[in-house]
Amino acid sequence: MNLYDNLKHRVRYYLLRTLPTCRQTVEKISQSMERRLTLQERFKIKLHLWICAWCQWYLEHLQLIRTTARAKGDEAIDLAPGVALSDEARERIRRKLTNLN
Amino acid sequence: MSEPQLKSLDPSPDPGRWLDEHGDYLFKYAVFRLRDDNAAEDAVQETFLAALKAYRQFEGRGSERTWLVGILKHKVVDHFRRLGREAPIGEEVDEGPEHREFFERTDQWQGHWNAARAPSEWHASPAELLERDDFWKVFSDCLSPLPQRTASAFTMREVDGLKSEEICEILSIKTNNLWVMLHRARLHLRNCLEMNWFKRER
Repeated sequence: MNLYDNLKHRVRYYLLRTLPTCRQTVEKISQSMERRLTLQERFKIKLHLWICAWCQWYLEHLQLIRTTARAKGDEAIDLAPGVALSDEARERIRRKLTNLN
Repeated sequence: MSEPQLKSLDPSPDPGRWLDEHGDYLFKYAVFRLRDDNAAEDAVQETFLAALKAYRQFEGRGSERTWLVGILKHKVVDHFRRLGREAPIGEEVDEGPEHREFFERTDQWQGHWNAARAPSEWHASPAELLERDDFWKVFSDCLSPLPQRTASAFTMREVDGLKSEEICEILSIKTNNLWVMLHRARLHLRNCLEMNWFKRER
């Protein structure tokens, strides 16, 4: 292990011991999608993400889920492929509508 | 130069044609959000009934489908609102399981990701996922095990982009409940997608 790696390892270890755990961090990551975090909260997350690829991926996944789900929600083409009203439901609604007319 | 084609203003509404032309589309819209065929059928029916009543206000302005979807949106929210009201008063809001298992470890790193349950890299682009019908099937199946209100809160937030305050009002819950619900839904859904899509597909 060269000097740089050794130092990096020590810093990482120190930060993981001192910073909030992954469990606490993912909860904050979720909240960051709901409200503006305080400067201190953001700083702790930034540091945690710097040394933790798992939480970094977690954040990216949440963002990907939001982006795609909202794009899908806006999309006017096909929200539920292959899904259609059953013949029975269609007839029931048709009867209901024509009886009123 | 030809005149732009204007739809003749039909004085009387034709619900039978609405059903043929827009029924399936509206049903898809509702099913994607409610994940319940019966509730979605009811929402479609209520939409047409409301459309009949409100036909005078529409008067052929704009696209018929957009107008019907606008009504359906309200019906979907009404359904969620009923979910909020039907929850027993005074009882704890069911926020779903806490998912501690993701962070159970036997070593000194308790509270950090359990390596076997931790996220992995996905290598996916939104554009590509949007095209994959089977991905949305998995997505919808993954929401099914969540408590109803949690799934609804998630849908309103992440699919329709409603504001937190609106969702709290619709479901009659407090902001803190909503945050916990969304957090747990995300933990579950992210893991479920990873297990059933991202690890299988590649």
